[in-house]
Amino acid sequence: MLKMNHLSKVYRTEVVETYALRDFNIDVKEGEFVAVTGPSGSGKTTFLTIAGLLETFSGGEYYLDGIEVSNLNDNARSKIRNEKIGFIFQAFNLIPDLNVYDNIEVPLRYRGMKTAERKQRIMDALERVGLSSRARHYPAELSGGQQQRVAIARALAGSPRLLLADEPTGNLDTQMARGVLELIEDIHRGGATIVMVTHDPELAARAQRNVHIIDGQVVDLAEEPRFHAHAAEAAHEYR
Amino acid sequence: MTLHPILAALRRHKAGVVLIALQIALTLAIVCNAIFIIGSRVQRIQRPTGMDEKNLFMVTQLWVGAPTGDDKASIDKLDAMLRTDVQTLRSLPDVESAIAINSLPLTNSTWSGGIGLKPAQEHATAHAAHYFADEQTIHTLGLRLIAGRDFNAGDVHHMGVRGQNVPPIVIVTKALADKLFPGGNAVGKTIYIDRNTPSTIVGVVARMQVPSVDSWANDFTWNSVLIPTRLDGNFSRYAVRARPGRMDAAMKEARAALFAANPMRVIGDDADSSGVKSFADIRARAYRADLGMAILMGVICLILLAVTGAGIVGLTSFWVGQRHKQIGVRRALGARKIDILRYFQTENLLIAGGGAMLGVVLALGLNLLLMRHFAMARLPIGYVLAGVAAVLALGQGAVFLPARRASNVPPVVATRSV
Repeated sequence: MLKMNHLSKVYRTEVVETYALRDFNIDVKEGEFVAVTGPSGSGKTTFLTIAGLLETFSGGEYYLDGIEVSNLNDNARSKIRNEKIGFIFQAFNLIPDLNVYDNIEVPLRYRGMKTAERKQRIMDALERVGLSSRARHYPAELSGGQQQRVAIARALAGSPRLLLADEPTGNLDTQMARGVLELIEDIHRGGATIVMVTHDPELAARAQRNVHIIDGQVVDLAEEPRFHAHAAEAAHEYR
Repeated sequence: MTLHPILAALRRHKAGVVLIALQIALTLAIVCNAIFIIGSRVQRIQRPTGMDEKNLFMVTQLWVGAPTGDDKASIDKLDAMLRTDVQTLRSLPDVESAIAINSLPLTNSTWSGGIGLKPAQEHATAHAAHYFADEQTIHTLGLRLIAGRDFNAGDVHHMGVRGQNVPPIVIVTKALADKLFPGGNAVGKTIYIDRNTPSTIVGVVARMQVPSVDSWANDFTWNSVLIPTRLDGNFSRYAVRARPGRMDAAMKEARAALFAANPMRVIGDDADSSGVKSFADIRARAYRADLGMAILMGVICLILLAVTGAGIVGLTSFWVGQRHKQIGVRRALGARKIDILRYFQTENLLIAGGGAMLGVVLALGLNLLLMRHFAMARLPIGYVLAGVAAVLALGQGAVFLPARRASNVPPVVATRSV
């Protein structure tokens, strides 16, 4: 579903070149639930933005659903983002001027979907996240957990093949975080591929596979037994 | 692009929306009326007098020590001086023709009176300007005779400025002829210029404007009557047609030749309306106020449009800045650059459209006010529609750069925390 070969991302200024990703390799199979972990500044978010076609990369190859994306123009990238990828952000990123219903409708409108289908999908998604009664509320009228569930509903409504989550529970308390994670797992069980960036080993332990990034490169977790053990223990507590 | 999400977002920014819509409405109301005024003034400035104005100039002079009495000897002497001047001007190498005349269109020196169709008619049928002319007047001024005949030398009499000799024949403008005889064919008909003495219309000229451009003359702007009389007084005017391309030389020659013929006279400088003036100068002077008003209105329009445009640019730029993250989120969710551009253009179209609807009402209201208090004409709907198109175009133009800036917000902004 998502394959990066020797991918690099360089930020250049007049005086310095900074590698956010260097010789980065990853292969996420269709239907997998992968957690991407690593310390702050390791390149987790850069990986996610490139994976989500939010940003371009400097070198290497990236195949998304079998398509090499480096030569795609902006419109083609927008279309793929809209049709194949769902995003869940740490800061929820709902549009404050629009109510819950209209927020969920945003990507569906860009897809050119008919009104009736949009409505059906929005109501189904709201039902699934348990917010059917809040369709006419504005984001500011909802709790953090509810806002994140709206963001999940927005991603769900588009039936994405790939769900990218960037610290999805980072702004939530434990109880809300648990609910959000259950929803993500539910989406995974529905067949979607999930890539979740987190610095939280407890969350990471819920994934099928962990990918650890340090200094812009994937580190082989087999050589990091301490991390493995810690993660397993944390996952047990979380459940 | 569907309107619902844009309207929903606008409802959350009522203050900015209402302010810009009001600004657009006021701009439309003022600009429509101002452009109508400009159009009216420009039309007024450009209206033809009926003369061939090119190569035409006027000399105004005042005799010094000339007879002042109304007795025949004094008038005959003045007439001889007048004829000498005309002959002097006609003999100049750069002059094609010259005449003595009491006034010219646009000089604001109007001789006028009522004209009746019956003797001692209580209320005049028409009001008209009087031009004291001779057999060369139509040729020299470049008027177009469209019916009847021109004067001949034998038709032309002379009288003092306080004289009451009404000639037996006259030539009238078509406008006056139509007013007096709506059925047509004015030639041969009798009119009464001084209530009692009949004059027969022998010719009709297509057009000759009255001297005054002031509003009091608006009712009879094109009603002129040519009276075949030399008017003998202490001052005289000459209309001179220079040979093509010899205008400047002819004007200099005219002044010098007149002084050479008789130095006892005053010919004014360029600073006032007297002296030797090209008709182009006379026209410019006559419509100076109209031109000034048109320029003032134009400047007001430009300032208003610029302020409104700047307001739209400012508000949209502010909104783009305010929604920077939101734009990034939209891009992340699949919006193309063109979708973002369209969003802001459509948003502006909705605001400007609302403002324009209110503006149409205000424009018509302002026009009613101006009609009531300043005798302005009714604002044609074409001006209002053009104004609407102009403010909508202004809005679209003004919003374009900020909207394009918005469309260039990268989707990665969605992942940034600030």
